[in-house]
Amino acid sequence: MRHYENLVIVKPTLTAEEIQASIKAIEEIITSNGGEIAATDAMGMRKLAYPLNKNERGYFHVIYYSVAPSAINEIERRFRINEDLLRFVTIKYDTNREVTAWNQLVQKAHKKASAPAGEAKVEEVIIPAGIDEDEDAE
Amino acid sequence: MAERRKYKKRYCKYCEAKVDFMDYKDVGALRFSLSERYKIMPRRLTGNCKRHQDMISTVIKRARAAALVPYTVTRKTVVTAPFENLR
Ligand SMILES: [Zn+2]
Repeated sequence: MRHYENLVIVKPTLTAEEIQASIKAIEEIITSNGGEIAATDAMGMRKLAYPLNKNERGYFHVIYYSVAPSAINEIERRFRINEDLLRFVTIKYDTNREVTAWNQLVQKAHKKASAPAGEAKVEEVIIPAGIDEDEDAE
Repeated sequence: MAERRKYKKRYCKYCEAKVDFMDYKDVGALRFSLSERYKIMPRRLTGNCKRHQDMISTVIKRARAAALVPYTVTRKTVVTAPFENLR
């Protein structure tokens, strides 16, 4: 099992329910390939830095999970087939330092998911100024 | 020239903050090492050490792939997409 992170950008032309449904389907792809989802982070609708398939915006969703490295090929293949996805980025967290960072990101995502209930539909994600980095044991 | 003046004192900002890991989704933190045209600033101007410059360049490239940071900014795209997403 290795730690991974997947950022997916879902088409903005879909309705809110369709977006949620396709995110469900994406998470289903990961779990059906033996992945364990640790946390998810909905970054929401954002403006893209450059147009993707003539779309100016996209719905960003981040999934933190751990899976056997051999399953990544199949997961990415399934993502590539999916037409609701404009783009996906898979990040591997391998070294000790990266794994600690992964744990912190998971905790941060949990905190964000539990704390702001009313802010679920914010357009812009508020970015904290400092990068908090502690040498906490996992 | 204006950019050279912005980075006067030469020290690694990330070493000072004891940064061990950078998140490519934290676009505001990348702003420091990007030029006005979203090029990666050379470390002779930012003062970053080699280790952190390597980290920042991979992180910026990831952010570019994720459409969080533009690859290129031409005169045309400057008008449509100024620094909206990152501040
Ligand atoms: Zn440094």
